Amino acid sequence: MEDTLKALVSEAEEGIPSVHTRPEFEAFKARFVGPNGSLKEAMRDMAQVPKEDKPRIGQLLNKTKQALEAIFQTALDKIEAAELAAKLGDPIDPSLPSPDPAVGGLHPLTQVRNEIVRVLKSVGFIVAEGPEVETEHFCFDALNTPKDHPARDLQDTFYLPNDATVGNVSKHEDERYLLRTHTSTVQIRTMLEQEPPVRIISPGRCFRRDTTDATHSASFTQVEGLYVDKGVTVCDLKAILDFLMKSLLGNDAKTRFRPHFFPYTEPSFEMDAQSSHLAKVGKDWVELGGCGMVDPNVFKSVGYDPEVYSGYAFGFGIERIAMIMYGIDDIRYFYQNDYRFLKQFS
Amino acid sequence: MLISLSWLSNYVDLSDKSVEEIEYAMNMIGFEVEGTKETGIPDLPKVVVGEVLSREQHPDADRLGVCEVNVGEEEALQIVCGASNYKVGDRIPVATVGARLPGNFKIKASKLRGVKSFGMMCSPRELGLGDDHDGLMILNQRPDIGKPINDVFTDSDTVLDIEVTPNRPDCLSHVGIAREMAAYFGKALTYPILETDFDGIRKTGEPTLISEVDVQAPDDCPNYYAHSIKGVKIGPSPDWLKQYLEAVDQRPINNVVDITNFVLLEFGQPLHAFDANKIGGNKIVVRKATHDEKIVTLDEKERTLNSDMLVIADAEKPLVVAGVMGSVDAEVDDNTVDVVLESAYFDPSGIRKTSRTLGLSSDSSYRFERGVDPQGANFAALRTIDLILDIAGGELVGPYIQAGTEPVIEREIELNPQFIRDIAGYEISDERIREILESLECSVSDGGESWVIKVPSWRGDLYRPADLSEEIIRMFGTDQIPESPVEVSGLIHQDANTASLNDRFSSYLAGQHFQECVHYSLRSGDEASQWFSRYSLDTLKLANPFTSDQTHLRVSLIPGLLDTLKLNFARKTGMERVFEVGKVFHEYEGQVFEMVSVAFAIFQPDRDSSWKSREEGDFYTAKNILNALGGLANVNLEGVGYRSLSLGTSIWQEDHSAHVGSFSKQGFEAKLGMLNVNLVKEWDLEGTVLAGAFEILPERIKASGKIVKFKPFSQFPPTEKDLALLVDDTLLAETVRRDLHKITKRAVNNRYELESVSVFDVYTGEGVPEGKKSLAFNMKFRSNDRTLTDKEVGEVFNTVQQEIESKTSYELRS
Repeated sequence: MEDTLKALVSEAEEGIPSVHTRPEFEAFKARFVGPNGSLKEAMRDMAQVPKEDKPRIGQLLNKTKQALEAIFQTALDKIEAAELAAKLGDPIDPSLPSPDPAVGGLHPLTQVRNEIVRVLKSVGFIVAEGPEVETEHFCFDALNTPKDHPARDLQDTFYLPNDATVGNVSKHEDERYLLRTHTSTVQIRTMLEQEPPVRIISPGRCFRRDTTDATHSASFTQVEGLYVDKGVTVCDLKAILDFLMKSLLGNDAKTRFRPHFFPYTEPSFEMDAQSSHLAKVGKDWVELGGCGMVDPNVFKSVGYDPEVYSGYAFGFGIERIAMIMYGIDDIRYFYQNDYRFLKQFS
Repeated sequence: MLISLSWLSNYVDLSDKSVEEIEYAMNMIGFEVEGTKETGIPDLPKVVVGEVLSREQHPDADRLGVCEVNVGEEEALQIVCGASNYKVGDRIPVATVGARLPGNFKIKASKLRGVKSFGMMCSPRELGLGDDHDGLMILNQRPDIGKPINDVFTDSDTVLDIEVTPNRPDCLSHVGIAREMAAYFGKALTYPILETDFDGIRKTGEPTLISEVDVQAPDDCPNYYAHSIKGVKIGPSPDWLKQYLEAVDQRPINNVVDITNFVLLEFGQPLHAFDANKIGGNKIVVRKATHDEKIVTLDEKERTLNSDMLVIADAEKPLVVAGVMGSVDAEVDDNTVDVVLESAYFDPSGIRKTSRTLGLSSDSSYRFERGVDPQGANFAALRTIDLILDIAGGELVGPYIQAGTEPVIEREIELNPQFIRDIAGYEISDERIREILESLECSVSDGGESWVIKVPSWRGDLYRPADLSEEIIRMFGTDQIPESPVEVSGLIHQDANTASLNDRFSSYLAGQHFQECVHYSLRSGDEASQWFSRYSLDTLKLANPFTSDQTHLRVSLIPGLLDTLKLNFARKTGMERVFEVGKVFHEYEGQVFEMVSVAFAIFQPDRDSSWKSREEGDFYTAKNILNALGGLANVNLEGVGYRSLSLGTSIWQEDHSAHVGSFSKQGFEAKLGMLNVNLVKEWDLEGTVLAGAFEILPERIKASGKIVKFKPFSQFPPTEKDLALLVDDTLLAETVRRDLHKITKRAVNNRYELESVSVFDVYTGEGVPEGKKSLAFNMKFRSNDRTLTDKEVGEVFNTVQQEIESKTSYELRS
């Protein structure tokens, strides 16, 4: 009996190094302490042990049991450690790159738009939007653009076929559908829907039937602003554009107005900006957009009384602003989506 | 429009203004200077005519001479000179001390090899007159000693290329621009003095050269003057005239033609000189062309006219496309002796239409279509006659013929000067307002609060107080607009639903490691028919596309994204996750619908370039993203129910793609999954592409500003039960789940809550019969006020199992 028990321990000691996994361990353990295990057998054999030997053998049995348990525990610890190690994997190399996708990002046109929107929202503008497929009424008529204005020509503006119907853009009268040439259409839609005061910005995609080259694109993005209220002045217009340009180009940015002509504003101006940032990209005064006081005829077309209300409007090409801000020399980069271009702005 | 400053100086004296000041003024009053060109010698103060009085050899330099030069001052100047082509008595240009030669070369008193020199005698190149540097410029015409060199060479000029906006046709002329400059700088405007006048001074009694002018289209030609000049001598124009024309890029032709061009550029009134002998039937007919009538215009191209076009004809043939271009048949040439001069007013829109239709634009049509001064034809004719008689000789004969009448323009605007200040928002005095208006040749009535402004005939753009406000702000100086703070009153309005939705889409996707891209909205017809043949594509086609690859409104954002993946894969930039937010267009029952859309694509290259590989995404990856996008649009796509895209589709991979929603029923739809592997291969992409696109009608988008109502939740643990069902493998898991949910809910019968029923395992294979699959569900029960007992949940669970066995085709799997 004594020998059996001793043999048991040494058997366990010898066998345990080849036990590596949990199932192996359970099977191995069962060989000794399982219901039919050898220790159980030995315990059953206790009955045959002479009475006087019982305490000693009993003690021995206990010791054996403890020794086995210690062996098992050590083995189990090892297995658990191995399992944990397997679960954790190799130690990391903190210098290795993550295999997961790189950071995402917004397109530079979206970023510039968002920045303009953010600045203008801080002074009470809200974003208004409208359809890209528009009617001549919203794109031209309501904006005081004469019937035979060159901008309406087939060579300058994209039209849908005469019999086309746009389910969710209704015609004003019998007129053609077109791809809007500016987002001023949204100003008209907004003014038709609500009474002054109106303070909106309308960013969005526009189209002109133009050859695409480094500085022209048949598709481009605009952001326009409109403020209508009692007593809005040229001075207010200058103030908002100064504020916007300082926010975009730095606190030293300045604007200047050069008189110009647009059918929908009177007086009309082109706005130039100047800043030390622009000086770094080698520009002095840079033409950035158009602006002016809303033409009384536009007010009439939306049912506002031009004797009571006045307002200003301004508009920029987002591509142009982005090109000037970042020193980009070809407008086509925006639509090509080369990652090496896009991620510079992420 | 090219403006010669030297030409301009005939009408306004800007001699105290530098070119920079003039350019600034042009820019700031609305004529953007797009270019500046210098001709002749530049402005060279302190360069004068000198005469060599003596010439000695330099004591220490063989090649240098020491001269005494008389420049018209008391003492002659000693000048050391390296040239050799001159002799005593020659007159030469001398740059005296303080002069600046081109290249910013400043002349100073200096010593050359020990001999003092007080100036420089100049070669042509040193004066900026070409490349000749072989020796001094000998002034053989012997101009007066001391005369400024700019007075000797008077052809020096600065020509500005300015943009004239379409509302200002009156400024398509030197006089028009001179008027603006005079108004801005507060100078006088000088018109040329006419010698010819209506009463026939310089006119003989001989009969006119033609018998009549028959205007058959008076709407298109309200006023027509024909003057007859007999016995002109055609020849080259005098130098001054040639110089002016050449300065503004006009090619001199002969004196009579040059004069009409000169007056056109002087006053903006186009004129036409006919060779009287080429006018058949001795009469001028202003009529509409006949259909398919032919004319060979001066550019030697045959033009086919139509009956909308106005022509100036003789009894037989058209001689001029009215207001656009003459024909070779009526040209004034070297043999011309008698001239009939046309000066007319044509309707702008008719000229514009003709010019567009013919694709033919001229200085004349450019002005007529924008609108010349309706009352300017007479003055311009007389000015032209003056110049012809002076330069080409001849005599004005007979009474002039006028057909039609001069349009009556009496535009009066009532203006309260306070209105100007109200629009401007800063102080401009009544006095200044009046001054500006008068400087623009508006007459201002006296007195009272409200003034009456009479506008000159050439200012068709001024008819309301707002128009006058622009004039005043412009001339007062936009640099006078004060800086001021933005003043804001709060408005309770919200961003457009579409705008805030697009923002949510893009922030979400950028946060999910997608890079935003932007593509053109116009795509090719080929692509449209390959991808979207279920649409009636003609509806989406533009009436006037510009290029063949951009003919159709885009139906989906996915092709653009594939283009981008293709480009970036070819260029090995490593961009694999892309998205776009933008408008797409659906065709439904013959109508176009503009939709708000968001789409994403994930490229999974066959060859993983990373050191550590990750498990590839699949349909469910795309679904997770799409669900989130739907959620941002307040649409529960799971609730709507995904369906396999079973139809043979060219875009999506069969059995690995799905759709949800329906345009006609819900106003939105979405597709997602793996893109067709063959298509992806065609796009030169080695790998698979997972994608999703969500499209919604803008009017379906709800404002997101709903205020959340808090719902209390249970503080007790849930009890869970699992259940596996054998079902037909064609069934959607969601169908089975809903059935199970319904049965279970009924079994619970509101005693507590059925929190969820969810699939946790899908299994086919061993133990599952052919044509079946095993779906394992987890059911979670919870009560708001207690921990549920096994018994009460067990009862429900038993009921559920019984119901399934008795009432469904599903089989319980133990």
